[in-house]
Order: sequence, then structure tokens, then C-alpha cells
Amino acid sequence: MPKTEIKEHIVMRNRDIENIRDLDVYLANGGYAMAKQALTSMTPAAIIDEVKKSGLRGRGGAGFPTGVKWSFVPKELNPKYLVVNADESEPGTFNNHEIIDENPHQLLEGIVISAFAIGANVAYIYIRGEFAYGARFLEQKIAEARERGLIGKNLFGSGYDVEIYVHRGAGAYICGEETALLESLEGKIGQPRLKPPFPAVAGLYAKPTVVNNVETLTNVPRIIEKGADWFRSFGTEKSPGTKAVSISGHVKNPGNYEIPLGITIREFIFDWAGGMRDPNLPLKFIIPGGASSNWLTEEHLDLPMTWDDMAAAGTMLGSGAMVVLDTSVPVVRAALKVDEFFKHESCGKCSPCREGTHFLVKVWERIDEGHGRVGDIELLADVGKQMLGKCFCPLGDSSVSAVNSAIKFFRPELDAAIDAQH
Amino acid sequence: MPDMVTLTIDGQTVSVPKGTLVVEAARQVENLIPVFCYHPKMAPVGMCRMCVVKVGTPKMDPATRQPVVDADGKSVIAMMPRLQTACTTPVSEGMVVVTQDSEVEHAQRGVLEALLTSHPLDCPVCDKGGECPLQNLTMGWGPGKTRFDYNDKVHFEKPVPLGDLIYLDRERCILCARCVRFQDEIAGDPVLGFYNRGRAWHIISQSDPEFDSKFSGNTTDICPVGALTSADFRFKARVWELQPIPTVCNHCSVGCNMTFDTRSNDIKRVMPRENDAVNEIWLCDRGRFGHHFNTSKQRLTTPLVRKAGKLQEATWEEALSIVAQQLDGIRSTTGGKAIGGLAGTSLANEDLYAFQRFFRETLGSANIDHRSGSALDLPLDDAGAQYGIRSGTDLSTLGKGTVVLVFGADPEEEAPVHLLRIRGINTRGGSVITLNGRPTKLDSIAKHALRYKYGSESAILAALLKPLLDSTPADGKRATLRGFNDLVAALKGFNLDEQASGISADKLNTVAELINSAENLVIFYGRDALTAGASVPAGLANLLVMTRKAGATNSGLISLLKGANARGALDLGVRPDRGPNYAALSNAGLDAKQMLSAAREGKLKALYVAGVDPVGDNPAAAESLKKLGLLVVQELFLTETAKLADVVLPVLSVAEREGTYTNAERRVQRFRQAIRPTINARPDWQILQALANQLVSEAVLSAAGGDKSRKQTRREEDKARVRSEWTYASPAEILMDIQANVAGYKGVSYASLQGPTGQWGRQANENYYFDGTSYQNTGGLGVQLPAAVETSSIQTLQPFSVSTPASVADRPWTLVGATFLYDDGALLTDTDLLNNRKAKAVVALNPVDADKLGVKNGERVTVSSGRGSLSLPVHRTKLAPEGVVVVPVGVNNVGLVSVVEGGATPVAIRREA
Repeated sequence: MPKTEIKEHIVMRNRDIENIRDLDVYLANGGYAMAKQALTSMTPAAIIDEVKKSGLRGRGGAGFPTGVKWSFVPKELNPKYLVVNADESEPGTFNNHEIIDENPHQLLEGIVISAFAIGANVAYIYIRGEFAYGARFLEQKIAEARERGLIGKNLFGSGYDVEIYVHRGAGAYICGEETALLESLEGKIGQPRLKPPFPAVAGLYAKPTVVNNVETLTNVPRIIEKGADWFRSFGTEKSPGTKAVSISGHVKNPGNYEIPLGITIREFIFDWAGGMRDPNLPLKFIIPGGASSNWLTEEHLDLPMTWDDMAAAGTMLGSGAMVVLDTSVPVVRAALKVDEFFKHESCGKCSPCREGTHFLVKVWERIDEGHGRVGDIELLADVGKQMLGKCFCPLGDSSVSAVNSAIKFFRPELDAAIDAQH
Repeated sequence: MPDMVTLTIDGQTVSVPKGTLVVEAARQVENLIPVFCYHPKMAPVGMCRMCVVKVGTPKMDPATRQPVVDADGKSVIAMMPRLQTACTTPVSEGMVVVTQDSEVEHAQRGVLEALLTSHPLDCPVCDKGGECPLQNLTMGWGPGKTRFDYNDKVHFEKPVPLGDLIYLDRERCILCARCVRFQDEIAGDPVLGFYNRGRAWHIISQSDPEFDSKFSGNTTDICPVGALTSADFRFKARVWELQPIPTVCNHCSVGCNMTFDTRSNDIKRVMPRENDAVNEIWLCDRGRFGHHFNTSKQRLTTPLVRKAGKLQEATWEEALSIVAQQLDGIRSTTGGKAIGGLAGTSLANEDLYAFQRFFRETLGSANIDHRSGSALDLPLDDAGAQYGIRSGTDLSTLGKGTVVLVFGADPEEEAPVHLLRIRGINTRGGSVITLNGRPTKLDSIAKHALRYKYGSESAILAALLKPLLDSTPADGKRATLRGFNDLVAALKGFNLDEQASGISADKLNTVAELINSAENLVIFYGRDALTAGASVPAGLANLLVMTRKAGATNSGLISLLKGANARGALDLGVRPDRGPNYAALSNAGLDAKQMLSAAREGKLKALYVAGVDPVGDNPAAAESLKKLGLLVVQELFLTETAKLADVVLPVLSVAEREGTYTNAERRVQRFRQAIRPTINARPDWQILQALANQLVSEAVLSAAGGDKSRKQTRREEDKARVRSEWTYASPAEILMDIQANVAGYKGVSYASLQGPTGQWGRQANENYYFDGTSYQNTGGLGVQLPAAVETSSIQTLQPFSVSTPASVADRPWTLVGATFLYDDGALLTDTDLLNNRKAKAVVALNPVDADKLGVKNGERVTVSSGRGSLSLPVHRTKLAPEGVVVVPVGVNNVGLVSVVEGGATPVAIRREA
């Protein structure tokens, strides 16, 4: 099957238009015209409707329909906030990074339109603390746009104000979880909140808040410009549009790709990313949607990359971070590395995650170091079971993905790693 | 009746109010779901994950929105895919909860194993051992042994002090955040927080000084492990060796229920006893740690008699007979009016009743008071009893619909646990209004935090009353209000001077509207209000009457008087102008101030002082006392007054005897004897009884001398006054006398004070550490006395007038004496732990004012009134509003008493060179 061609990029337009990061270039290519149109000739309801019709789903990982999320915001409670999740910290994900660095104005225009749609006058971009360059760059871009009257008071004479602020995180993975992000944005320790209430009702400073991913909002100006039907010409019925996906690991051409949703994993790895790096080392397993996702193997290569197909296969599309690993990788080491990450990032709020991630790492470590004991695999499985679904937020569950995947697909290798010592 | 929801828990059907959490619903059917982070007094957080259970709800048909039923007509239950935390899940109709099955037990075992991987297991040296939820739940739900066999527990430096009072052992901490949440939600002192993350996550203090809160001790009760321990109790005893004796705190007018936990006849710690109507399960740090006076080495241990100018040890017989003979001598020569008596507010009701009987009946003197005669004395407060909070009111149940007005009071300093209760009302949806002359902590939660200028209190009240008068229709309603026309006359032509009062009339109209439309109105008033003139308590009472809330359910005044039993002293007539139960007297006696003047003039020959320290309160009083023929002091300590006494009679402390106190809400509560006295002291009432009986005995009468017929007449007089010889065998019998003779105390007996016990849903099967280690109340909840207005059909408006203080040209500043919780009072003797927190002898001055005067922190100023002056270092703080200087009351070497004139006093301030 030949590689599916993409007519044009929706979010990574920097791949189509050189220097679109410059405001003049962006304006010359129709930039901010949609913001003007939305604010001057459309009602918020009409914008929400168009986004609903487009079937745009949240690109941060959960794939929740964006228009529906917006419509949960109670009209009568004010002020409202739009918060842009630019915390991109899932291991293997680096596509928001490219949008921010290379196509920032489309993101900002998306923020202006979306803020107007939900009735927010203030938007915060919560950016991963390590993206110091990106944060400064965005601030510079915001300043440029404000100077031209594209962000700020009484935009396009509509009487509508929107301010956009950039806030740098302090280096915690958990702050990508929307309620922990809000806590951190409020200046508190970054830990998830009890839900309900959901952010749509009581979010930032206990006010109605929409938290959207960078890529999600970057789609919005193009949907307004070209309409829901055009957007739906990409992707599948239930997963319309494209997805910026970062691929890394043992492939020939790692990097970011904007794929039409619905292509198979096989096509993505072999036709888009150039296949396996070393022809002598075949594919062993795939971590398809960030470190928190359940692994896949060769048998899943024909799985279409959509939210629903991936979910049906017991994993997730996640934030679009595919890590491809070949047979040079020992499973125990891979699982240890994944769980070390979660142990390091566990916020400490709930007992099973705080202590469980530590426990898992200790057991993986002893197996990796050649001191595995008979019964360790069952122990990992049992501790994992005591964590899965019992933690405060999904971080604890995420650490169990590696345990369960390793046991599911590579039990003989695990047993061998232990037996070698006995 | 709130909407009820019916659900089943482990097959048992239970109906609970809508909104109840599963964990609480389960308690109702004696099903204990284990918890660590959940606490019934705080919002759930779902952090520890110990309470995970299976939850299912009736399956709904999406088309019809009706429950799906099976062949038998029963609802099909859709079980949730994951276990749910019972502490965060509210009940819903038809819910099915499974708390005990292999899946739930497996998960709970996992949580305990997880917690124990980081817990040091140093139970043998841990103060919590024996009353530790982690120990108990491990026994009940935990794995017998851990699979985590690493020597890799979290290690931190062993206990670090969080301030002077609390130690934190971070290794033991299971990170349930109860302490942090208590400080944030209940105390309103967000001084604790977390630092770092993951396994390194730990508690820190965020304040300077560390753990800066008056309620820090409570965190040691609700800590589910031994992470927080008190400096007072650390390593003092194993808890199973302690004997908890029910008592009542005698440090302030809240009357917190607590226990003295004793071992080997020593008080090892103080713990709260739950009483929702008083202190819930909390104590302030003064109450908790301020017990050391009971066992102080500085206590008086034996009677002292002045011989050759020096106080020398004597026997009781000797001391009592000297007192009796001398009192009888004065009584027979000059009569009772030459004898005065002061009995303080930390004496029990039984002592106070005996005291006034002793004076009125035995000595024939009306000169009695419970104050010390200093310029800082509070006026006698009757409004708090007449219009007091209605009996049966439980502040812990009030919320939505309740307005709390705090007028001229700082509950945090004057009656700390009331602060928690006011905050609780606010949390449950009530509104708080603060009307004060200076900032207080309650301002932060107040719907209206209004700052009046000192001197304008009555004008503020007039501005609140006026719209209420105007809106009262001219029909029958006015006729039921006695004094309505007088009040109208008093307010005729009144217009608020916004400049002088500091608050706009509009704002006060809004407040008047708010309190008028409230369902319940609770008014707290304290030192500032009490010293601002009689029109202030009267005006507050009138607010109640005009809003139809005088004597109404859940409404009334709470007067934050100084001393644990000030209300008892007022109720029982330890005052010159009224007898027990506020009975009018034909001839008033002298009050404390008048007694001191009379002594100075030589008209008062003898003064009998029990639990009051006139010289300590005002050194100038010494001159008066030196003129007396007889000064008797009945005391715990050798006070400044006692040092001048002719006879000093040592008394037993609250821990060594039994009795009752009446708190600010007029709840009579009983305290028990916790330790056996090791000194030669007696309870106050016993001393008075011995004297009363000696004074009518033949021995004294015959020793009195004089001719036979006169003696005969006197004996007749005595017999007429003295109903009979005193034969009280115990305080219980005095209380029987009180309840028979004092109308307000009708029905109050040691038996009625004993019950009922057990309150908000502690279950018989319950591990009693569910909500912390506070004790279940087995000692009785006390009896709340009715306010006078509850029983009268006609409501009387109190005489009220607006006064405008004349400004004094050369004294442009206002001096205010403020109560601070930690003062130099005798009840904090030997409680060295609190020394660093004691109010300092400084003048609090607003930084703007300090700049005007050009003074830096620590530089001295002279503050002068029309009466005198004081010299103190300056403390620059915004807690003093501009134009106001605040000086602590009850702190040694302050000199305030010689400067103040009643309440707020115009003063001049001069920077000292």
C-alpha cells in the first residue's frame, strides 16, 4: 500500500510555508483573518457549533471532543479562563514544541478565537519549565501581535478583550494533568485535584476554565477558515483531522510528522518514518502513545491510528508519542526505565502511587541487576493490581502499563532473566 | 427533614440525608470503613486511598431514563469499573456498596503495605503507640508481613521542632494532610504546607515563628500516626497507662471540655473531650498546655499567718480561728459594711455561691465583687444573660441562614475556640460580620469587615438600629416592645457622622438588612465592646429585639467575659448590686473600686480576697490594702496581694477537686478531681464553710466579748440571717442549694450535668481514633441555662443613648488595652512552653504613625492620658490602625492600668530621647 499523502499541513504549516513564525509572513498567508471574522461576525455559539461539527478531539491525550468540552462551561459564572496546556512532558512527545517554535501565531490566533467562544478574557499558556526558549519566544510573539492590535483590548473593534499570559512550569510531569496544572498555575504545589468539580465549572481560581492542548487550539483557525467539512476530509469519521505525532527510537527517520488520523501503525513506521534503523534488528515492541500507554508488538502493526482503534486494542493514541524499540532492547531494562520515570514524577499525594512506583522500581532493579527472585513476576503483577485503578490520578496507573505489557508479551524473557540466577 | 437517600451497604439498607458520603453512611450501620486522610470535620480529599470500596448504581435505560429491572423486578446494578473512595463518594438512591470482599480487601491491604514501606515501625518508642490508627488498621486490614524487604525506608532526621510546641517526625508521617487541612480549613492559619514530591514529600512550617497558630496542639490529636507529637507530652507516658479524668478548661469563658490524663497522681497531658455544643473536638494551645500551674512548685502548700510582720506557716485551725475572730470582731464593732469580699472568676460556682452566702448571710455585708478594682475591670454584663444565646443552641449545627456579628471582640485572643466555631458557621454557609476598632483574624472570612473609630460604637449601633425602627410598622408589633418609644426618642434626629465613625451609613444599612433577614443571629462581643459604655451591650440587645431574634432559636448574645466563670459570678450574685439570679437588692454594697477607696479612707476594715489579685492588677492598690485591719487571701499562689495579707489560705486547684463552671454560653459544666492533693490546701468552699460555721459558733460568740444582752441580740441576728449551720459535704450539695434558690439554675444538678453523653455518631463498635484521639464524652455535656428573655412574653428594649466622645486637643491618639491569649496570668505559671508566645510589653503602633513620630521598632515612647503615663518600646504593626495604639492587658510591667480611663482612652504620645 502506498504512503497516504497529506494535501497540506493543518497544524504544522511551517512545513508548507517558510518563516510562518514571523508575523508578517503569517499575516500575508491569511493570518488573524479568522480571529477577525470570528470576533466581528460570528457568535460564540456559532464557533462552538462549527468546532463540534468538525469533530475535533482533544490532542493532549484523552481525545475528548473539544466543542463538547467548551459547551460544558456555565454561561452565568464569570470570569472564565482559557488555559493552554503546553506542558508537553510525556516521554517521547515533542510535537507541541515544534508548533510553538515554528507556527506560534496560529496557536495564538486559535487562543483568541477559542477564548472568545467560551467567553474568557484571559488565557494562560502553561508551558513546560524546560522550554525556556519557547516561553520567551511566545512572549515575544504575543507582544508583536499585541502591538498590531491582534491581542489585547477591543480586538478588531468588536469590544472584546483578550489577554494572553505565558506561565512557566517548574518541572513536574504531573502538571500536564489539567487539575495539577491549575494548582501549579495558582502558585500551589503541583498535585491533581479531586474531581468533581471539573475545571469547566470550577477550575482556575475556582472559576469556569477550559484547558486545551496546544495542538487542539492550533487547529481552530483552520476549522473556522475552511469549515468542518474540509477538516473532516482528513482522518476518519470518529477521529477526523490530522495528528502531530512524534516518533523516536529505532527508526530511520525519527521526528515529528503530521499524519492523517487512521493510517496504520505499519504505514507510519515503515512508510513515514523510514522503517527500522538496523535491518538486522527487527521490531520488538512499540510504546505507542507515550510512556503511560500499554505496549504493542508486531501483531498490532495494522492497527489504525485513531483514538477508538487504539483504545480497543487496550492502549491509547495518547499525546502522539511513539517509541519504537528493536530486539536490542531488554524488556526488563525498558520497563525499569519507564517505571523509574513515574517513580521520579510521582507527586506523593496518594499512597499507592507514592510507594507503589518505588516498590516496582526496586523489583525491576533487582531483576535487571541479576538478583531476580522466583515469584518476582507475580509480585510485580500483584502490586500493579493493587495500584491500577486505586490511585488518585492516572499517573499511578501509568506506571503499571510497563509491568502489565512486559508480562503480557514477554513473560518468557522475564522468566529467563530470573531463572538465569537460579 | 432533608431529602433522604436509601442505599445498601454490604446488604444492609440505610437511609441517610442527601449529600452524605458513603463512609459516613456506613458508620450509621456500624460498618467501619478504614480511613486515614478522611476526617469528619474537614472536606474529603481522597488521598490515602485506604477507604476504597465497590460501588454500584442502578442501571438506567438511556432511552426511557428509567432504571432497568431484571426478571424479578429488581433494579439491575451497574458496578463501577474501579473501586471508589468511600470518603469522596456521595450516596445516591439505590446505590449498592460492598466494603468487604476479596477485591476490596486486596486493595486495602495494598495501601497499608504501601504506607508501611515508608514507616519506621518505631512503635515501642512512639508516643502514639496504643492509640494509633496506623497500628490499629494494620492489625485489622494490613498484611501480616510485607513483601517490601528492602532496607530502604524513607529516612529523615528524627523529630524536628515545628515551633516550641510541636515536633514533626517526617519518617512516621503518612502524608494524609490532616494537619495541613486543619490549619487551612478549621484554624484559618495556613502555616503548614508540603515540600518536595514523591517519597520525599514532607510537611513543613511556612510561618515565622514556626507553626504560628493558637491551635497547633489539635494536629497531634488528628494525626493518624506519631508524626506530630507535642513537646508537652513527648516521652511522658504510654497512653494505656493514663487515666483520663473529665474536666473543664478554666483558662477562658469558652469552657472547653477536656480531660486531665494522669498517671501516678501527675497530669501527663490534656486532651479534648468531644462536646459539639462547646468545643467540638478542639482545644486551643493555652488550654492544652497551660495545665502546669496545677502541679507547680510555686503553689501555696500550707496556711500562712503574719507574725512579727512576716508570713509564717500555720495550721488550718490556727489560721481559720484568727480569721473568724477578727472578722467577728469587726462585724460586732462596725458591722458587716466594714468588710469587703472579692471572689474571682476562676472559682467554681459552688465557691462563688458559698462566698456570697458567707458575706450576705454570715457577715451581713453586701460589699462583694468578682473584680479587682483596677481601671481595667470590665463593667458588669447583664445583657449576656438576659439576651444570651438561646438554650439548646449548638453552634456546630449552624450554617446557612445564620449571621454572626462580632462586635468589639477578638475571639482569637479572648476565647480562641469560638474562632473555630465562627469559622465553622462560615464554612457551612453562614455569614460573618466583624465590626471592630482594629483588625482581627476573622476579618479575612467576614462578608463585611468594618472598622469603626473608637468612641463611635454607640453611633454605629444607632445607625444599625435606626432603619430597623423605621421599618417597624406602627401596629400591634410596637406595643409588644417595651421601650420602643424611648428608643425612637433616643434616635430622634440621629445622623451618622461618617467621618467620625469611619463607616458609611450605606454600609451599615446593608449590614442592618443582612441581620434583619437572617434566620439566626449570633452576636459576640468582647473587651472592646464591654468597655465602650453601657449603651453598647444594650444596643446589641436591642438589635436582637428589633430583628425579632431576642430569645429566638439559635440566636442571642455571647459575651466574651474575662475568666472561666465570670458568667457564674454574675449569675450567682458575686457583685454588689444584685443577688443571685440578678435579683435586685434594696441596698447595694461597694464594688471593688469603692472597696479600695473605702479602705484607703479607713472605712473598710477587712478585705477577704479569693482568687483575685488587686495588687497584681494594679500596684497602686497596695496603698489601700495596707490601711486594712485584716486582709485575708485565699489563693493558689503567693500573689502580690497575698504578700500583703495577714492570713493566706491555700486552695486546691481545678485538678485537685470538683465543681462546676458556667461558660459564656451559660452552659453549666462539671469538672472532676483528677489528682490527689499532696499539699495542705482545701477547696474554696470548704474554707468558707468552716469560717461560716465558726462565725456562728458559741466559741466565737463568747470570745467576742461584750455584755451578755448584746451577745444575745447578736446571736438572734445571726440566726435570722443564717438559715442553718453549713453542712455541705460536697460541691454537689451546694449545687443542690443553688438549683433550689437560684431560679436560672433550676434543675441543674450533678446528675443532670452528667448526661447525656456520646454525640455525633461515634459508634459502639468504632475504633475511636476515626476522628483523632479526642475522647468520647463520658463525663456529661452539661446543661445550658435559659436566657431571661426566653421566658418572658414582652420584650424590653434596653435604655440606649448615643454618646459622642469629646476630642481632647492635646491628646489626639487613642489608647486601647487589648486582651492577648498568652498573658502573664497566674494560670500560665510553669507553662514555660508558651513563654515565647506571650504578649510582649510593647506599644503597638501603626507604621504610618510610627514614621510620623519618627520611631523605629524597639525605641521607647511615653504615652500619657489625663490619669498618668507609661513608657514602653514600640512595635510597628498594622494590627494597630492609624491613630490607635494598642497595649496588652495582663502583661507585667506595662503600666497600662495607670493610664486607661475605662475603655479607649485619648492619649498623647511622645518619642523618648
